[in-house]
Amino acid sequence: MRWRLVGKADLITRCRPLLGTFVEISVPDAHADAIDPAFAAIAHVQQCMSFHAPDSDLGRLRDAPVGVPVAVDRDTVAVLRVARALYDSSHGLFDVTIGRELVRDGFLPRVSALHLRQYTGCAADIEIIDDNHVCCHRPMLIDLGGIAKGYAVDRAVEFLIAHQVDEGLVNAGGDLRSFGERVWPIALRDADDVIRWTIDLPACALASSANLHDRRRSRGRIRTAHIGDGRKAVAADHRISVIADRCIIADAMTKIAMASPALAVPMFNTYGAHLLSDPNEGMM
Amino acid sequence: MAQMKWSHVIALPVLATVSAPVSATEYLSVADAQRVLIPQAQNFIPFAVTLSPAQLAQIKKASGVPQHSAQPKIWRAMNGKATIGWVIVDEVIGKHEFITYATAISPDGHVLGVEILSYRESKGGQVRDPKWRNIFRGKTVRDQFKLNKDIPNISGATLSCRNITDGVKRLLAIHALALGREG
Repeated sequence: MRWRLVGKADLITRCRPLLGTFVEISVPDAHADAIDPAFAAIAHVQQCMSFHAPDSDLGRLRDAPVGVPVAVDRDTVAVLRVARALYDSSHGLFDVTIGRELVRDGFLPRVSALHLRQYTGCAADIEIIDDNHVCCHRPMLIDLGGIAKGYAVDRAVEFLIAHQVDEGLVNAGGDLRSFGERVWPIALRDADDVIRWTIDLPACALASSANLHDRRRSRGRIRTAHIGDGRKAVAADHRISVIADRCIIADAMTKIAMASPALAVPMFNTYGAHLLSDPNEGMM
Repeated sequence: MAQMKWSHVIALPVLATVSAPVSATEYLSVADAQRVLIPQAQNFIPFAVTLSPAQLAQIKKASGVPQHSAQPKIWRAMNGKATIGWVIVDEVIGKHEFITYATAISPDGHVLGVEILSYRESKGGQVRDPKWRNIFRGKTVRDQFKLNKDIPNISGATLSCRNITDGVKRLLAIHALALGREG
């Protein structure tokens, strides 16, 4: 697709199914050759951090004996480092070991060898040994879901910038990041699937989360893919959108803001993130 | 992020949103997709196949999803006299979306790549705020349908590409049944 805003270079946008969603990359026409390798950077993140694939880093981490260091990709370590830091600063609210809950509630497939109850680990049990080695000190099901998506967007943007692409936008199913001088019109899809607002986004990352249309009911409770305090599912009726420098942070903050607005506020300051609330409700 | 940059965002937070009931994003033409998927091919020759009812049943059995068209859109990617792959253009229909995509398959039945050609949504938004911010210079409310094309980037709950994943499985089954021996 080609599109143009007044006074700006023509852009080309391509779209591939990756990370379980639709990934769009937009760059100026003159840099069309950079699109394929940028998609490759995203595909690499998918390969390393897929929950489903048994040969991914996550697959090998869940199958490895407890306490044994596992060699993983640098990208996986980078994401786990962010996950560990977020776990600590959110006092355990943001925990990537919620794979157990997501499998139990049917949001992820049953790929594990052990009974779900045996996966007792939390993110505090993940030890980052070095840039290529990780050790889990209890059995756990790690799901990097949204933050891997955010990280993949960051990697693609970093690749494009490193290759002298002057402006562009990468959008992985709503987790997006733009760079360059251009101001990008972004439509916000609300939790009920209706687009009511558009914003003008300068170079930054934006992520949104909602679960109104992705819920299940089991054992008398509403289950969603968003797990909060006490590892209980969070059912939010509204979309949460967060702006940050990096997409990995924007994505993580949507989950934290959804689970605990009170906890999110100081974290927004720490991470330089901003909650984007509905215009008629003002900014937080 | 610098506070200044953020204040830039909130300075113009909202445009009046005028969404069309149908929004469409066109990414690639079939010819462009062929070149992107198998760049080393010299030409792409249309390959006519009519699947028998028995084959259609086999495809459903092998892939778990029904193949509706008995005449899938297939091109043979040629390099000289050698077949170096296949490109199949297919469509999937979801709850609200209609997606056309191209899949390249190697002669031995591996996926070489998948590109989305177009994404159409049947569900749009409504006019929420009639006050129009003239942010796109030279454009007016009358350009609303055009505007939709100019705003291809959407942030919201993640949309699943499960339909495409299932569709690709179906195309691999077509390859195994009808194209595998042609290579």
